[in-house]
Amino acid sequence: MSIKLSSSVPTDREVVLGILNNSIEALNKLYAAYFPMVLQLILNNNGDEDDAKDVYQEAIIVLYNKVRSGNFELSSKLKTYLYSVSRRIWLKKLTQQRKKTNNIADFEDILVVEDDLEQHEQKDLQFDKMKIALESLGEPCKTIIEDFYIHNHSMQDICEKFGYTNADNAKTQKYKCLQRLKKLFFQS
Amino acid sequence: MFTAFEEIILSIMKMRNDIELEAIIEDYLKGKLTPEEHAAFEQLRNNDQIVDHKVVAHKVFLESMAQYANILQLKERMDAAHAQIDVETLASELRPHPSKLVKLWKNNRSAVAIAASFILLTMVSLYSIQSNNKQAGTFEAMSKDMARIKTTQNSLIRDIKSREANKNSNNNSNNRARFGGTGFAISGNGYIITNYHVVRGADSVYVQNNKGVSYKVTSFYNDPQNDIAILKINDESFHRLPNLPYAIKKGSSSIGEQVFTLGFPKDDVVLGDGYVSSKTGINGDTLAYQVAIPVNPGNSGGPLLDNNGNIVGIINGKENKTDGATFAVKSKYIMEALNAIPQDSLSRRVTYGKRSQLQGLKRNKQVDKIQDFVFMIKVYNNN
Repeated sequence: MSIKLSSSVPTDREVVLGILNNSIEALNKLYAAYFPMVLQLILNNNGDEDDAKDVYQEAIIVLYNKVRSGNFELSSKLKTYLYSVSRRIWLKKLTQQRKKTNNIADFEDILVVEDDLEQHEQKDLQFDKMKIALESLGEPCKTIIEDFYIHNHSMQDICEKFGYTNADNAKTQKYKCLQRLKKLFFQS
Repeated sequence: MFTAFEEIILSIMKMRNDIELEAIIEDYLKGKLTPEEHAAFEQLRNNDQIVDHKVVAHKVFLESMAQYANILQLKERMDAAHAQIDVETLASELRPHPSKLVKLWKNNRSAVAIAASFILLTMVSLYSIQSNNKQAGTFEAMSKDMARIKTTQNSLIRDIKSREANKNSNNNSNNRARFGGTGFAISGNGYIITNYHVVRGADSVYVQNNKGVSYKVTSFYNDPQNDIAILKINDESFHRLPNLPYAIKKGSSSIGEQVFTLGFPKDDVVLGDGYVSSKTGINGDTLAYQVAIPVNPGNSGGPLLDNNGNIVGIINGKENKTDGATFAVKSKYIMEALNAIPQDSLSRRVTYGKRSQLQGLKRNKQVDKIQDFVFMIKVYNNN
Protein backbone atom coordinates (compact mmCIF):
# COMPACT_ATOMS: atom_id res chain seq x y z
CA MET A 1 0.00 0.00 0.00
CA SER A 2 1.87 3.04 -1.17
CA ILE A 3 0.76 6.36 0.22
CA LYS A 4 0.91 9.44 -1.94
CA LEU A 5 1.47 12.53 0.13
CA SER A 6 -1.00 14.65 -1.79
CA SER A 7 -4.05 12.39 -2.02
CA SER A 8 -4.78 11.19 1.49
CA VAL A 9 -3.67 14.20 3.55
CA PRO A 10 -6.36 15.44 5.94
CA THR A 11 -6.71 19.19 6.39
CA ASP A 12 -5.09 20.69 9.47
CA ARG A 13 -8.49 21.66 10.90
CA GLU A 14 -9.72 18.10 10.52
CA VAL A 15 -6.73 16.82 12.44
CA VAL A 16 -7.04 19.31 15.30
CA LEU A 17 -10.77 18.56 15.68
CA GLY A 18 -10.01 14.85 15.47
CA ILE A 19 -7.45 15.14 18.26
CA LEU A 20 -9.88 17.04 20.46
CA ASN A 21 -12.60 14.43 19.81
CA ASN A 22 -10.12 11.59 20.37
CA SER A 23 -11.05 10.19 16.95
CA ILE A 24 -9.29 7.01 15.83
CA GLU A 25 -9.99 7.71 12.17
CA ALA A 26 -8.36 11.14 12.33
CA LEU A 27 -5.29 9.64 13.99
CA ASN A 28 -5.02 6.96 11.31
CA LYS A 29 -5.21 9.57 8.57
CA LEU A 30 -2.73 11.86 10.27
CA TYR A 31 -0.36 8.99 10.93
CA ALA A 32 -0.38 7.75 7.34
CA ALA A 33 -0.15 11.26 5.91
CA TYR A 34 3.16 12.40 7.37
CA PHE A 35 4.99 9.18 8.19
CA PRO A 36 6.80 9.10 4.82
CA MET A 37 8.10 12.60 5.46
CA VAL A 38 9.67 11.60 8.79
CA LEU A 39 10.87 8.29 7.39
CA GLN A 40 12.70 10.17 4.65
CA LEU A 41 14.28 12.51 7.19
CA ILE A 42 15.53 9.69 9.40
CA LEU A 43 16.69 7.37 6.62
CA ASN A 44 18.75 10.15 5.10
CA ASN A 45 20.33 11.04 8.42
CA ASN A 46 21.89 7.88 9.80
CA GLY A 47 18.68 6.26 11.04
CA ASP A 48 16.60 3.19 10.20
CA GLU A 49 12.89 2.38 10.00
CA ASP A 50 12.55 1.68 13.72
CA ASP A 51 14.15 5.00 14.61
CA ALA A 52 11.66 6.68 12.28
CA LYS A 53 8.74 4.97 14.00
CA ASP A 54 9.94 6.01 17.47
CA VAL A 55 10.67 9.58 16.50
CA TYR A 56 7.41 10.00 14.60
CA GLN A 57 5.28 8.59 17.42
CA GLU A 58 6.98 10.85 19.91
CA ALA A 59 6.34 13.84 17.67
CA ILE A 60 2.65 12.95 17.43
CA ILE A 61 2.46 12.67 21.22
CA VAL A 62 3.96 16.18 21.44
CA LEU A 63 1.32 17.42 18.99
CA TYR A 64 -1.50 15.74 20.92
CA ASN A 65 -0.38 17.17 24.23
CA LYS A 66 -0.10 20.61 22.73
CA VAL A 67 -3.53 20.52 21.11
CA ARG A 68 -5.19 19.06 24.21
CA SER A 69 -3.59 21.61 26.50
CA GLY A 70 -5.49 24.21 24.48
CA ASN A 71 -2.65 26.52 23.52
CA PHE A 72 -2.26 25.31 19.98
CA GLU A 73 -2.65 27.94 17.31
CA LEU A 74 -2.50 27.04 13.68
CA SER A 75 0.20 29.60 13.00
CA SER A 76 2.02 27.17 10.75
CA LYS A 77 1.22 24.12 8.75
CA LEU A 78 0.83 20.98 10.83
CA LYS A 79 3.24 19.28 8.48
CA THR A 80 5.93 21.87 9.23
CA TYR A 81 5.28 21.54 12.96
CA LEU A 82 5.54 17.73 12.94
CA TYR A 83 8.64 17.92 10.80
CA SER A 84 10.35 20.40 13.10
CA VAL A 85 9.51 18.40 16.22
CA SER A 86 10.71 15.14 14.64
CA ARG A 87 13.90 16.80 13.47
CA ARG A 88 14.62 18.18 16.93
CA ILE A 89 13.97 14.79 18.58
CA TRP A 90 16.20 13.03 16.08
CA LEU A 91 19.01 15.56 16.50
CA LYS A 92 18.84 14.99 20.22
CA LYS A 93 18.98 11.21 19.81
CA LEU A 94 21.93 11.54 17.45
CA THR A 95 23.80 13.65 19.97
CA GLN A 96 23.10 11.08 22.66
CA GLN A 97 24.49 8.37 20.41
CA ARG A 98 27.46 10.65 19.71
CA LYS A 99 26.98 10.47 15.97
CA LYS A 100 27.83 13.27 13.63
CA THR A 101 25.11 15.92 13.69
CA ASN A 102 26.53 19.01 12.06
CA ASN A 103 25.11 18.51 8.61
CA ILE A 104 21.60 17.10 8.86
CA ALA A 105 19.95 16.78 5.46
CA ASP A 106 16.69 18.75 5.50
CA PHE A 107 13.60 18.25 3.42
CA GLU A 108 11.17 20.83 4.85
CA ASP A 109 11.05 24.22 6.52
CA ILE A 110 11.80 24.31 10.23
CA LEU A 111 10.09 25.99 13.17
CA VAL A 112 11.54 26.67 16.60
CA VAL A 113 10.00 24.04 18.87
CA GLU A 114 12.41 23.91 21.83
CA ASP A 115 9.79 25.02 24.38
CA ASP A 116 7.30 22.37 23.34
CA LEU A 117 9.94 19.70 23.55
CA GLU A 118 11.03 20.79 26.98
CA GLN A 119 7.45 20.44 28.18
CA HIS A 120 7.24 17.11 26.46
CA GLU A 121 10.32 15.86 28.24
CA GLN A 122 8.75 16.74 31.57
CA LYS A 123 5.64 14.80 30.66
CA ASP A 124 7.67 11.93 29.32
CA LEU A 125 9.45 11.73 32.65
CA GLN A 126 6.08 11.51 34.42
CA PHE A 127 5.00 8.81 32.00
CA ASP A 128 8.11 6.77 32.67
CA LYS A 129 7.71 7.25 36.41
CA MET A 130 4.17 5.93 36.29
CA LYS A 131 5.21 3.05 34.05
CA ILE A 132 8.00 2.02 36.39
CA ALA A 133 5.77 2.42 39.44
CA LEU A 134 3.09 0.22 37.86
CA GLU A 135 5.61 -2.39 36.80
CA SER A 136 7.17 -2.64 40.22
CA LEU A 137 3.72 -2.92 41.79
CA GLY A 138 3.31 -6.58 40.85
CA GLU A 139 0.17 -8.67 40.40
CA PRO A 140 -2.73 -8.59 41.09
CA CYS A 141 -2.34 -4.93 42.06
CA LYS A 142 -1.14 -3.85 38.62
CA THR A 143 -4.18 -5.30 36.86
CA ILE A 144 -6.64 -4.01 39.46
CA ILE A 145 -5.28 -0.48 39.19
CA GLU A 146 -5.09 -0.62 35.38
CA ASP A 147 -8.63 -1.96 35.14
CA PHE A 148 -9.97 0.74 37.39
CA TYR A 149 -8.03 3.82 36.29
CA ILE A 150 -7.05 3.07 32.69
CA HIS A 151 -9.79 0.83 31.36
CA ASN A 152 -12.43 2.47 33.58
CA HIS A 153 -13.95 -0.78 34.80
CA SER A 154 -16.33 -0.52 37.77
CA MET A 155 -15.46 -1.92 41.19
CA GLN A 156 -18.22 -4.49 40.63
CA ASP A 157 -16.50 -5.83 37.47
CA ILE A 158 -13.16 -6.00 39.25
CA CYS A 159 -14.79 -7.79 42.18
CA GLU A 160 -16.15 -10.46 39.83
CA LYS A 161 -13.01 -10.74 37.70
CA PHE A 162 -10.77 -11.40 40.67
CA GLY A 163 -13.32 -13.50 42.54
CA TYR A 164 -13.57 -11.36 45.65
CA THR A 165 -16.39 -12.51 47.88
CA ASN A 166 -17.75 -9.05 48.45
CA ALA A 167 -17.28 -5.52 47.20
CA ASP A 168 -15.70 -4.42 50.45
CA ASN A 169 -12.84 -6.88 50.05
CA ALA A 170 -12.19 -5.62 46.53
CA LYS A 171 -12.34 -2.05 47.78
CA THR A 172 -9.84 -2.76 50.55
CA GLN A 173 -7.55 -4.54 48.11
CA LYS A 174 -7.71 -1.67 45.65
CA TYR A 175 -7.03 0.80 48.44
CA LYS A 176 -3.94 -1.09 49.52
CA CYS A 177 -2.68 -1.33 45.95
CA LEU A 178 -3.31 2.36 45.41
CA GLN A 179 -1.40 3.33 48.54
CA ARG A 180 1.58 1.30 47.40
CA LEU A 181 1.44 2.70 43.89
CA LYS A 182 1.24 6.28 45.16
CA LYS A 183 4.20 5.64 47.40
CA LEU A 184 6.20 4.23 44.48
CA PHE A 185 5.13 7.05 42.18
CA PHE A 186 5.80 9.96 44.51
CA GLN A 187 9.05 8.59 45.84
CA SER A 188 10.68 7.82 42.53
CA MET B 1 -28.20 10.49 52.71
CA PHE B 2 -26.92 13.76 54.02
CA THR B 3 -26.84 12.55 57.57
CA ALA B 4 -25.30 9.25 56.52
CA PHE B 5 -22.56 11.12 54.74
CA GLU B 6 -21.99 13.32 57.72
CA GLU B 7 -21.69 10.22 59.85
CA ILE B 8 -19.01 8.85 57.57
CA ILE B 9 -17.12 12.09 57.75
CA LEU B 10 -17.41 12.05 61.53
CA SER B 11 -16.16 8.50 61.62
CA ILE B 12 -13.27 9.49 59.39
CA MET B 13 -12.33 12.29 61.74
CA LYS B 14 -12.61 10.12 64.77
CA MET B 15 -11.21 6.83 63.61
CA ARG B 16 -9.19 7.89 60.60
CA ASN B 17 -10.98 5.47 58.36
CA ASP B 18 -8.55 5.88 55.49
CA ILE B 19 -10.29 3.58 53.04
CA GLU B 20 -13.53 5.52 53.21
CA LEU B 21 -11.67 8.82 53.09
CA GLU B 22 -9.82 7.76 49.96
CA ALA B 23 -13.10 6.77 48.31
CA ILE B 24 -14.68 10.10 49.18
CA ILE B 25 -11.67 12.06 47.95
CA GLU B 26 -11.88 10.22 44.68
CA ASP B 27 -15.60 10.90 44.30
CA TYR B 28 -14.98 14.51 45.26
CA LEU B 29 -12.30 14.96 42.62
CA LYS B 30 -14.36 13.21 39.99
CA GLY B 31 -17.36 15.45 40.83
CA LYS B 32 -19.54 12.54 41.91
CA LEU B 33 -20.64 14.03 45.24
CA THR B 34 -24.03 15.73 45.66
CA PRO B 35 -23.87 19.50 46.30
CA GLU B 36 -24.54 18.96 50.03
CA GLU B 37 -21.85 16.31 50.32
CA HIS B 38 -19.50 18.51 48.34
CA ALA B 39 -20.04 21.41 50.71
CA ALA B 40 -19.62 19.21 53.77
CA PHE B 41 -16.41 17.79 52.41
CA GLU B 42 -15.01 21.22 51.55
CA GLN B 43 -15.72 22.15 55.13
CA LEU B 44 -13.72 19.14 56.32
CA ARG B 45 -10.94 19.97 53.88
CA ASN B 46 -10.72 23.53 55.20
CA ASN B 47 -10.59 22.37 58.77
CA ASP B 48 -8.17 19.48 58.39
CA GLN B 49 -4.75 20.12 56.90
CA ILE B 50 -4.01 16.41 56.56
CA VAL B 51 -7.16 15.77 54.56
CA ASP B 52 -6.42 18.79 52.37
CA HIS B 53 -2.93 17.50 51.70
CA LYS B 54 -4.31 14.09 50.76
CA VAL B 55 -6.76 15.71 48.33
CA VAL B 56 -3.99 17.66 46.61
CA ALA B 57 -1.73 14.61 46.37
CA HIS B 58 -4.52 12.47 45.00
CA LYS B 59 -5.37 15.13 42.43
CA VAL B 60 -1.78 15.19 41.16
CA PHE B 61 -1.80 11.42 41.09
CA LEU B 62 -5.10 11.17 39.19
CA GLU B 63 -3.88 13.69 36.63
CA SER B 64 -0.65 11.78 36.08
CA MET B 65 -2.65 8.58 35.78
CA ALA B 66 -5.01 10.16 33.24
CA GLN B 67 -2.07 11.46 31.23
CA TYR B 68 -0.48 8.03 31.39
CA ALA B 69 -3.68 6.36 30.22
CA ASN B 70 -4.04 8.87 27.38
CA ILE B 71 -0.53 8.34 26.06
CA LEU B 72 -0.83 4.58 26.45
CA GLN B 73 -4.00 4.62 24.37
CA LEU B 74 -2.42 6.93 21.80
CA LYS B 75 0.59 4.64 21.51
CA GLU B 76 -1.61 1.60 21.00
CA ARG B 77 -3.58 3.36 18.29
CA MET B 78 -0.43 4.59 16.60
CA ASP B 79 1.00 1.08 16.58
CA ALA B 80 -2.20 -0.08 14.89
CA ALA B 81 -1.89 2.72 12.34
CA HIS B 82 1.77 1.88 11.84
CA ALA B 83 0.90 -1.73 11.06
CA GLN B 84 -1.20 -0.50 8.13
CA ILE B 85 1.78 1.12 6.44
CA ASP B 86 4.07 -0.81 4.17
CA VAL B 87 7.24 0.56 5.68
CA GLU B 88 9.63 -1.52 3.61
CA THR B 89 8.38 -0.31 0.27
CA LEU B 90 8.31 3.27 1.47
CA ALA B 91 11.79 2.97 2.88
CA SER B 92 13.22 1.60 -0.33
CA GLU B 93 11.74 4.59 -2.16
CA LEU B 94 12.96 7.18 0.30
CA ARG B 95 16.35 5.77 1.20
CA PRO B 96 19.30 7.69 -0.23
CA HIS B 97 19.80 5.62 -3.34
CA PRO B 98 23.14 4.64 -4.82
CA SER B 99 21.78 5.43 -8.27
CA LYS B 100 21.64 9.09 -7.20
CA LEU B 101 25.42 9.02 -6.84
CA VAL B 102 25.72 7.53 -10.30
CA LYS B 103 23.43 10.26 -11.64
CA LEU B 104 25.54 12.92 -9.96
CA TRP B 105 28.63 11.48 -11.61
CA LYS B 106 27.01 11.38 -15.04
CA ASN B 107 25.75 14.96 -14.79
CA ASN B 108 29.03 16.37 -13.54
CA ARG B 109 31.48 14.19 -15.38
CA SER B 110 33.30 17.07 -17.07
CA ALA B 111 33.63 19.04 -13.81
CA VAL B 112 34.98 16.00 -12.00
CA ALA B 113 37.45 15.35 -14.83
CA ILE B 114 38.76 18.92 -14.63
CA ALA B 115 39.10 18.67 -10.87
CA ALA B 116 40.94 15.37 -11.20
CA SER B 117 43.40 16.73 -13.71
CA PHE B 118 44.08 19.69 -11.42
CA ILE B 119 44.89 17.36 -8.58
CA LEU B 120 47.17 15.35 -10.85
CA LEU B 121 48.97 18.51 -12.00
CA THR B 122 49.39 19.69 -8.41
CA MET B 123 50.81 16.37 -7.35
CA VAL B 124 53.27 16.27 -10.22
CA SER B 125 54.52 19.77 -9.47
CA LEU B 126 54.73 19.08 -5.74
CA TYR B 127 56.69 15.93 -6.45
CA SER B 128 59.18 17.81 -8.63
CA ILE B 129 59.62 20.46 -5.94
CA GLN B 130 60.19 17.78 -3.35
CA SER B 131 62.70 15.87 -5.43
CA ASN B 132 64.69 19.10 -5.84
CA ASN B 133 64.87 19.45 -2.10
CA LYS B 134 67.53 17.61 -0.18
CA GLN B 135 65.42 17.32 2.96
CA ALA B 136 62.83 15.24 1.20
CA GLY B 137 64.74 12.08 2.01
CA THR B 138 64.71 12.64 5.76
CA PHE B 139 61.05 13.57 5.67
CA GLU B 140 60.16 10.30 4.02
CA ALA B 141 62.19 8.41 6.52
CA MET B 142 60.41 10.20 9.31
CA SER B 143 57.01 9.31 7.99
CA LYS B 144 57.99 5.68 7.82
CA ASP B 145 59.06 5.91 11.39
CA MET B 146 55.73 7.42 12.24
CA ALA B 147 53.95 4.52 10.63
CA ARG B 148 55.92 2.10 12.70
CA ILE B 149 55.46 4.16 15.82
CA LYS B 150 51.74 4.06 15.34
CA THR B 151 51.73 0.32 15.50
CA THR B 152 53.94 0.24 18.54
CA GLN B 153 52.24 2.73 20.77
CA ASN B 154 52.01 1.18 24.18
CA SER B 155 49.01 1.27 26.38
CA LEU B 156 50.38 1.88 29.79
CA ILE B 157 48.61 -0.95 31.54
CA ARG B 158 50.59 -2.58 34.22
CA ASP B 159 50.66 -6.31 34.03
CA ILE B 160 50.74 -6.92 37.73
CA LYS B 161 50.11 -10.59 37.40
CA SER B 162 53.16 -11.33 35.37
CA ARG B 163 55.38 -9.61 37.92
CA GLU B 164 53.82 -10.84 41.07
CA ALA B 165 53.26 -14.33 39.85
CA ASN B 166 57.02 -14.66 39.69
CA LYS B 167 57.41 -13.47 43.25
CA ASN B 168 54.64 -15.45 44.85
CA SER B 169 53.98 -18.35 42.62
CA ASN B 170 52.14 -20.10 45.44
CA ASN B 171 49.37 -17.51 45.59
CA ASN B 172 46.07 -18.14 43.97
CA SER B 173 46.36 -16.01 40.88
CA ASN B 174 42.60 -15.52 40.61
CA ASN B 175 42.67 -13.26 43.63
CA ARG B 176 45.22 -10.94 42.15
CA ALA B 177 44.62 -7.98 39.95
CA ARG B 178 45.64 -8.68 36.42
CA PHE B 179 46.06 -5.12 35.29
CA GLY B 180 46.38 -1.83 36.98
CA GLY B 181 45.89 1.75 36.00
CA THR B 182 45.09 5.06 37.55
CA GLY B 183 41.86 7.04 37.79
CA PHE B 184 40.61 10.14 39.54
CA ALA B 185 37.35 11.34 41.05
CA ILE B 186 35.08 13.58 39.00
CA SER B 187 32.38 13.99 41.62
CA GLY B 188 32.01 13.73 45.36
CA ASN B 189 29.71 10.74 45.19
CA GLY B 190 32.09 8.21 43.76
CA TYR B 191 32.39 8.64 40.02
CA ILE B 192 35.89 7.89 38.78
CA ILE B 193 37.27 8.62 35.34
CA THR B 194 40.01 6.56 33.73
CA ASN B 195 41.06 5.24 30.32
CA TYR B 196 38.79 2.92 28.44
CA HIS B 197 41.71 0.62 27.57
CA VAL B 198 42.40 0.09 31.29
CA VAL B 199 39.00 -1.44 31.98
CA ARG B 200 38.26 -2.92 28.57
CA GLY B 201 37.11 -6.52 28.77
CA ALA B 202 37.33 -6.55 32.56
CA ASP B 203 35.39 -9.09 34.58
CA SER B 204 35.52 -6.98 37.70
CA VAL B 205 37.16 -3.71 38.59
CA TYR B 206 38.19 -2.34 41.97
CA VAL B 207 39.66 1.01 42.86
CA GLN B 208 42.05 1.55 45.72
CA ASN B 209 42.71 4.90 47.37
CA ASN B 210 46.04 6.08 48.72
CA LYS B 211 45.23 4.65 52.15
CA GLY B 212 45.01 1.18 50.64
CA VAL B 213 41.22 0.76 50.91
CA SER B 214 39.61 -0.98 47.92
CA TYR B 215 36.11 -0.37 46.62
CA LYS B 216 34.20 -2.32 44.03
CA VAL B 217 33.22 -0.26 41.01
CA THR B 218 30.93 -0.79 38.06
CA SER B 219 31.40 0.55 34.59
CA PHE B 220 29.10 3.52 34.11
CA TYR B 221 30.04 5.05 30.76
CA ASN B 222 32.49 4.10 28.01
CA ASP B 223 33.84 6.18 25.18
CA PRO B 224 36.29 3.96 23.27
CA GLN B 225 36.91 6.64 20.64
CA ASN B 226 38.38 9.11 23.11
CA ASP B 227 39.69 6.31 25.35
CA ILE B 228 37.62 7.47 28.32
CA ALA B 229 35.66 5.35 30.80
CA ILE B 230 33.68 6.46 33.82
CA LEU B 231 33.32 4.09 36.77
CA LYS B 232 31.00 4.31 39.74
CA ILE B 233 31.93 3.16 43.23
CA ASN B 234 29.24 0.79 44.45
CA ASP B 235 30.32 0.15 47.97
CA GLU B 236 28.51 0.90 51.17
CA SER B 237 31.75 1.53 52.99
CA PHE B 238 32.57 4.36 50.61
CA HIS B 239 32.06 7.80 52.14
CA ARG B 240 31.48 10.86 50.07
CA LEU B 241 34.61 12.76 49.14
CA PRO B 242 35.03 16.37 50.19
CA ASN B 243 34.95 19.05 47.51
CA LEU B 244 37.26 18.27 44.62
CA PRO B 245 40.34 20.50 44.79
CA TYR B 246 40.95 20.57 41.05
CA ALA B 247 38.99 22.00 38.15
CA ILE B 248 38.88 20.99 34.52
CA LYS B 249 40.72 23.40 32.29
CA LYS B 250 38.72 25.25 29.69
CA GLY B 251 40.60 25.79 26.44
CA SER B 252 43.78 24.08 25.42
CA SER B 253 47.26 24.19 26.88
CA SER B 254 50.15 25.70 25.03
CA ILE B 255 53.47 24.09 24.25
CA GLY B 256 55.93 24.52 27.08
CA GLU B 257 53.32 24.66 29.84
CA GLN B 258 54.47 22.95 33.04
CA VAL B 259 52.34 19.91 33.85
CA PHE B 260 52.44 17.04 36.32
CA THR B 261 50.64 13.77 36.86
CA LEU B 262 49.95 11.37 39.70
CA GLY B 263 49.76 7.68 38.98
CA PHE B 264 50.15 4.16 40.33
CA PRO B 265 52.96 2.45 38.42
CA LYS B 266 53.67 0.81 41.79
CA ASP B 267 51.49 0.35 44.84
CA ASP B 268 52.16 3.88 46.09
CA VAL B 269 51.29 7.04 44.27
CA VAL B 270 54.07 8.45 42.07
CA LEU B 271 54.48 12.02 40.86
CA GLY B 272 55.61 12.68 37.30
CA ASP B 273 56.68 16.15 36.24
CA GLY B 274 57.21 17.70 32.80
CA TYR B 275 55.83 20.00 30.13
CA VAL B 276 53.49 19.94 27.16
CA SER B 277 55.73 19.17 24.21
CA SER B 278 53.20 19.10 21.38
CA LYS B 279 49.58 19.98 20.86
CA THR B 280 48.96 16.76 18.98
CA GLY B 281 49.39 13.15 19.90
CA ILE B 282 50.80 10.29 17.92
CA ASN B 283 50.62 10.79 14.14
CA GLY B 284 49.13 14.25 14.55
CA ASP B 285 46.17 12.96 16.59
CA THR B 286 44.34 16.15 17.60
CA LEU B 287 42.48 14.41 20.44
CA ALA B 288 45.65 14.22 22.50
CA TYR B 289 48.63 16.21 23.77
CA GLN B 290 52.16 14.99 23.74
CA VAL B 291 53.83 15.65 27.07
CA ALA B 292 57.41 15.17 28.20
CA ILE B 293 56.84 13.19 31.39
CA PRO B 294 58.48 9.84 32.03
CA VAL B 295 55.65 7.40 32.69
CA ASN B 296 55.49 3.71 33.31
CA PRO B 297 52.86 1.03 32.92
CA GLY B 298 50.16 1.83 35.48
CA ASN B 299 50.11 5.56 34.77
CA SER B 300 47.27 5.16 32.27
CA GLY B 301 44.19 7.09 33.36
CA GLY B 302 46.07 9.44 35.65
CA PRO B 303 45.17 13.13 35.74
CA LEU B 304 47.45 15.59 33.96
CA LEU B 305 47.40 18.91 35.81
CA ASP B 306 48.96 22.29 35.14
CA ASN B 307 50.66 24.50 37.75
CA ASN B 308 47.36 26.04 38.78
CA GLY B 309 45.77 22.68 39.54
CA ASN B 310 43.58 22.54 36.46
CA ILE B 311 43.16 19.19 34.78
CA VAL B 312 44.39 19.48 31.21
CA GLY B 313 44.15 15.81 30.25
CA ILE B 314 44.29 12.11 31.09
CA ILE B 315 47.50 10.16 30.54
CA ASN B 316 46.70 7.37 28.10
CA GLY B 317 49.82 6.04 26.51
CA LYS B 318 53.39 6.55 25.42
CA GLU B 319 55.50 5.92 22.43
CA ASN B 320 57.78 3.01 23.12
CA LYS B 321 60.59 3.93 20.75
CA THR B 322 61.24 7.37 22.19
CA ASP B 323 61.80 8.35 25.79
CA GLY B 324 59.62 11.00 27.32
CA ALA B 325 56.94 11.06 24.64
CA THR B 326 53.76 10.49 26.59
CA PHE B 327 50.26 11.13 25.34
CA ALA B 328 47.26 12.51 27.15
CA VAL B 329 43.61 12.85 26.13
CA LYS B 330 42.66 16.54 26.11
CA SER B 331 40.42 17.93 28.86
CA LYS B 332 37.79 18.95 26.29
CA TYR B 333 36.95 15.26 25.82
CA ILE B 334 36.66 14.73 29.56
CA MET B 335 34.00 17.44 29.53
CA GLU B 336 32.27 15.79 26.60
CA ALA B 337 32.16 12.54 28.54
CA LEU B 338 30.84 14.33 31.62
CA ASN B 339 28.18 16.04 29.59
CA ALA B 340 27.11 12.76 28.06
CA ILE B 341 26.07 11.24 31.37
CA PRO B 342 22.98 12.22 33.37
CA GLN B 343 23.83 15.36 35.29
CA ASP B 344 21.78 14.66 38.39
CA SER B 345 23.76 11.50 39.11
CA LEU B 346 26.88 13.56 39.77
CA SER B 347 26.73 15.46 43.00
CA ARG B 348 29.53 17.89 43.82
CA ARG B 349 30.96 17.32 40.39
CA VAL B 350 34.28 18.68 39.25
CA THR B 351 34.05 22.30 38.12
CA TYR B 352 34.82 23.47 34.62
CA GLY B 353 36.80 26.56 33.74
CA LYS B 354 36.74 27.86 37.33
CA ARG B 355 39.62 28.72 39.64
CA SER B 356 40.86 25.59 41.36
CA GLN B 357 41.69 25.43 45.07
CA LEU B 358 45.25 24.48 44.18
CA GLN B 359 46.17 27.75 42.53
CA GLY B 360 49.25 29.37 44.02
CA LEU B 361 50.20 26.39 46.18
CA LYS B 362 53.59 24.72 46.07
CA ARG B 363 53.81 21.42 44.27
CA ASN B 364 54.08 19.30 47.46
CA LYS B 365 50.96 20.93 48.92
CA GLN B 366 49.14 20.40 45.65
CA VAL B 367 50.02 16.72 45.64
CA ASP B 368 48.96 16.46 49.29
CA LYS B 369 45.56 17.77 48.39
CA ILE B 370 45.08 15.78 45.23
CA GLN B 371 46.23 12.35 46.29
CA ASP B 372 43.03 11.55 48.17
CA PHE B 373 41.19 11.86 44.87
CA VAL B 374 43.46 9.71 42.75
CA PHE B 375 42.77 5.99 42.75
CA MET B 376 44.56 2.87 41.64
CA ILE B 377 42.39 0.91 39.25
CA LYS B 378 42.66 -2.85 39.68
CA VAL B 379 41.24 -4.94 36.90
CA TYR B 380 40.49 -8.61 37.39
CA ASN B 381 40.11 -10.83 34.43
CA ASN B 382 39.51 -14.52 34.68
CA ASN B 383 40.38 -15.33 31.10
